[in-house]
Amino acid sequence: MTIATGEAETPRRSGPARSGTARRVWEHRADYAYVTPAILVMLIVIAYPIYYTIDLSFYTTPPSLQLKDKIFVGFDNYKAILTSDVFWRVTVNTLIWTLASTILSFTLGFATALALHADFIGRGALRAILIIPWVISAVAASYIWKWIYHSDFGVIGAVLVELGIADRPPNFIDSVGTVLPSLIVVNIWREFPFAMIMMTAGLQTVPDQLLRAAQVDGASAWQRFWHVTFPHLRNVSTVTVLLLAVANFNSFIIPWIMTGGGPSNASHIWITHIYELAFGRQRWGVASAYSVLLFIILMTLGYFYVRALAGGEKKGRGA
Amino acid sequence: MSATAESAARRTRRGKPLDWWRWGGRIFLGFMLLYTAVPMIWMLLTSIKSGFAAMQLPPQWWPAEPTLASYQKLLDPQNSVGRDFLHFFWNSLVVSTLTTILGVIVAVPAAYAFSRFTFPGRNFLFFAVLLRNMFPAVIFLVPLFILMRWLGLVNTQGSLVLTYLTFGLPLAIWLLKGFFDNIPIQLEQAARIDGATRFQAFVRIVMPLSVPGIIATAIYSFIGAWNEYIYAYTFLNRNEQLTLPVGIQRFFSENTTDFPGLMAASFIMSVPVVVLFLVLQRYFVRALTEGAVKH
Repeated sequence: MTIATGEAETPRRSGPARSGTARRVWEHRADYAYVTPAILVMLIVIAYPIYYTIDLSFYTTPPSLQLKDKIFVGFDNYKAILTSDVFWRVTVNTLIWTLASTILSFTLGFATALALHADFIGRGALRAILIIPWVISAVAASYIWKWIYHSDFGVIGAVLVELGIADRPPNFIDSVGTVLPSLIVVNIWREFPFAMIMMTAGLQTVPDQLLRAAQVDGASAWQRFWHVTFPHLRNVSTVTVLLLAVANFNSFIIPWIMTGGGPSNASHIWITHIYELAFGRQRWGVASAYSVLLFIILMTLGYFYVRALAGGEKKGRGA
Repeated sequence: MSATAESAARRTRRGKPLDWWRWGGRIFLGFMLLYTAVPMIWMLLTSIKSGFAAMQLPPQWWPAEPTLASYQKLLDPQNSVGRDFLHFFWNSLVVSTLTTILGVIVAVPAAYAFSRFTFPGRNFLFFAVLLRNMFPAVIFLVPLFILMRWLGLVNTQGSLVLTYLTFGLPLAIWLLKGFFDNIPIQLEQAARIDGATRFQAFVRIVMPLSVPGIIATAIYSFIGAWNEYIYAYTFLNRNEQLTLPVGIQRFFSENTTDFPGLMAASFIMSVPVVVLFLVLQRYFVRALTEGAVKH
């Protein structure tokens, strides 16, 4: 609520100031009609599940999900999670997965956007091709890459053998050491186009006059990028990185389809692990407790997300 | 578009000393093109091989006897695989279209209100809507499953449409709000002075100006719904109701070595969204520039 009260007093709000919230609500009663459908859908599908998950995390439930038979166990589910080895394994995997995917996707996407900023023949076509992986389904992407990584007939392995780099096709996704990096490559393949689109959109807002002025003043290409372009893109970059981080933290499909978390948990990340606990092993209470922990982490990230967006908002009003 | 003027300006701006950067950029782009395109090309090449030709070492780099058998099998309503596949395709189309239409109907008024009105709690609600993006599907799965059971929607496509609506909405509202913010309020005021109601002013003035934003929003919802996997995987059981991603997974778990068939199915599944996106992508980039980035 702090956000609401803090932002509510922006100068844009005119009319009778501070004459009672109730009266203001009443004066604006018609406005709510516009947002009601959206809020209603959100409430049903979001607020209720969140409440429900928190509640369930304190119970053990029978596998059948017959909720009248659930047993209150207090914080036992949380204790069980924090003391298990798998939890730490999965957490490390999640951190590697999220950080590597986010940083590399953003860097590659941003670099591509910059390289595509100067016009040349075929730029539009090239950009279109580069966007495709982001558009196609993650399920299709997972199968395509699973086939490329195939331990007997995969094309990468075949190329390595042909070039004499390897004696026989390596096991990319069936060995503990290589599975996570291999999946991260797939994830970046799907995600860098998003960073590219966002940064392309951002680059279009950098005023040309400023760049020209800097050039007249003798700034090198790098100096122009670092002192003019990049500061302009700070806000877009923050939002893009946050959106990528959240999406990566929440990924499910690629590890789930390609490896199912294996071999021996080497590619389990939080979400796949929670899913397996809930729908595979029917341990709904533990899965809910996991979700609540996840929720707390995401709320922390969300705080920065909202702050970044709110920063954009304020700047927008000033402009 | 002032693309030509812009590029001319850029060419003069970048003199000879910059060639080093430019060449670095080109090499990098070449690398990215390989990274992006090779998997897709390999998918296409595999999909026109026979099952036997696909499983060879060293592989047939170029199919020796290209065949469309996999596509014929998938698209033939006489055959049981084809019947299922066409069913999945149709289901995906219905769910995605419904989600898109409903999403736009709900998002447009909400975004308009967030852009124009200053009711108490506006910012709180706006950020609450955006926060939805933060949470993974898994958190909502169990409670939603129980909720859908209670609503009698389990094993219906209604459960998917309702769920998909919510994860499309946040970005839709955010993008559209940015669009509405950029439309001068004076235009509407002028229309209202001329006797139009707020609704008429909205339909006649604001809507036409925000068509790119609405199209971008619609594409986003459609692609999101088309590609969604986890809810469909959990909520639907009966074979004839599955959407494509889940259907393909089921197909593959029954025919574990039919890689040409799988690649053909992946290709067919990708075609609608890729075509849709490529045709309309300029709206999407423009919507991001106008809505999300520029403010």
